[in-house]
Amino acid sequence: MSAYSLWVMEYAAVPNYPQSGLIYGMHNQGTRKLPYCYVVIKGQGQLAMVDVGYNHKAHGEVLANTYGVRGWHSPREVLGEIGIQPEDVSNIFITHAHFDHMGNIEDFPNATFYIQERELSKWVWTMSLERRFRWLMLGIDPADIMRAVDLARQGRLVCVDGDRENVLPGIDLHAAFDTHTWGSMYVTVRNDLAANSQSSFVFCGDLAYGYENLRGHDPKDPEYIPIGLATGSQFGVIMAAEAMVKSVGGDVHRVIPPHEERLKDLYPSRITKAGLRITELALADGEKSQVV
Amino acid sequence: MIDDATAAYIVENRKCFEDLKQVASQLAGLLVLAAAGSKEAAPEHPMLGAARELFREADDALRRARPTERARRHYDYLARAAVSIGIALSEADGVLNVDRILIPLRAGYTELERAADALPGFEKVAYERACCGGGRVQ
Repeated sequence: MSAYSLWVMEYAAVPNYPQSGLIYGMHNQGTRKLPYCYVVIKGQGQLAMVDVGYNHKAHGEVLANTYGVRGWHSPREVLGEIGIQPEDVSNIFITHAHFDHMGNIEDFPNATFYIQERELSKWVWTMSLERRFRWLMLGIDPADIMRAVDLARQGRLVCVDGDRENVLPGIDLHAAFDTHTWGSMYVTVRNDLAANSQSSFVFCGDLAYGYENLRGHDPKDPEYIPIGLATGSQFGVIMAAEAMVKSVGGDVHRVIPPHEERLKDLYPSRITKAGLRITELALADGEKSQVV
Repeated sequence: MIDDATAAYIVENRKCFEDLKQVASQLAGLLVLAAAGSKEAAPEHPMLGAARELFREADDALRRARPTERARRHYDYLARAAVSIGIALSEADGVLNVDRILIPLRAGYTELERAADALPGFEKVAYERACCGGGRVQ
């Protein structure tokens, strides 16, 4: 029994991203494709997402020309491939406040957004520091902060303080403070709705970019290797990896890094006419496959 | 192609742009806390003092700037941004009324975005330090 259908939706990609930016220590070891994705969770009368991607109007040209990001498509186009409109989405869990994860807030006019309070309050604190601390502001778009003001005024911004169970039936939010960012969080979907679920998935945001972060380079002798970018600490990233892997009973492939291209080797998927991949992790009872 | 005088203008005015962006971010950050009902948001928040000081520096730098013909449009956007952000800052005196502050603040930030698009060297987000930064095209 699956309570929710789960899809990872690619909305853009960097074809050649240095491995060292993703897996700590992989210097001078070439590049890999880095897909940009968000996650759709559908079932139990709910339509939710994990993250929303970036705002092309604000960033598209620079990202395409300077950073090699290719193939951006709007949520309307991307979600339309599985028969969903952005207006239908009711709940969105923001794993962290970087522009490529929360930059598209305004495309989801009916959704309530969940973010860790610490993620917001520590960014605000960072802004009060002198200019020489500006590295700590990495990846933050001031326009996103203004959009968050609008959300709060409309009562559509929920600031979560730590873990929260059953934010929707079978869906839990877990804080991972001082890791990739100050107030990162990951989302667990207990797809059998059981307290001690045997079919959980974890959506980890940027707490892991690829499976090397969760099992090292040798699956027979696993180890955690931190990501290439942490505002908090690598210790925190490793301990978050342990918590996530434990929560899926040690099956690392149930931890879903949205930037991991090799999800296609683990789960059924298809490429859309726009060249974007849809990966289907689970189908709710009675739901039709979107990739076959 | 950017001429030498315009290149010099870009170098000299990058800090002014960054400072205005920082002031806008600081104000927006306070507004998020206020709109979300945080007790931390108050008109006496130390960040407001920092924002005012930074704004003074940016405003002074703007007065000293000598835009070339090529940089004129950028300068105009920057000047309009400073006016709007200045209004937003003055609205934050006394009480944090989110609506009264947000309108000029958003207008000011829109001008900053236009400025960023008008000349190279002015980034809205520090992409090179973000996750995507590793993919910089050489």
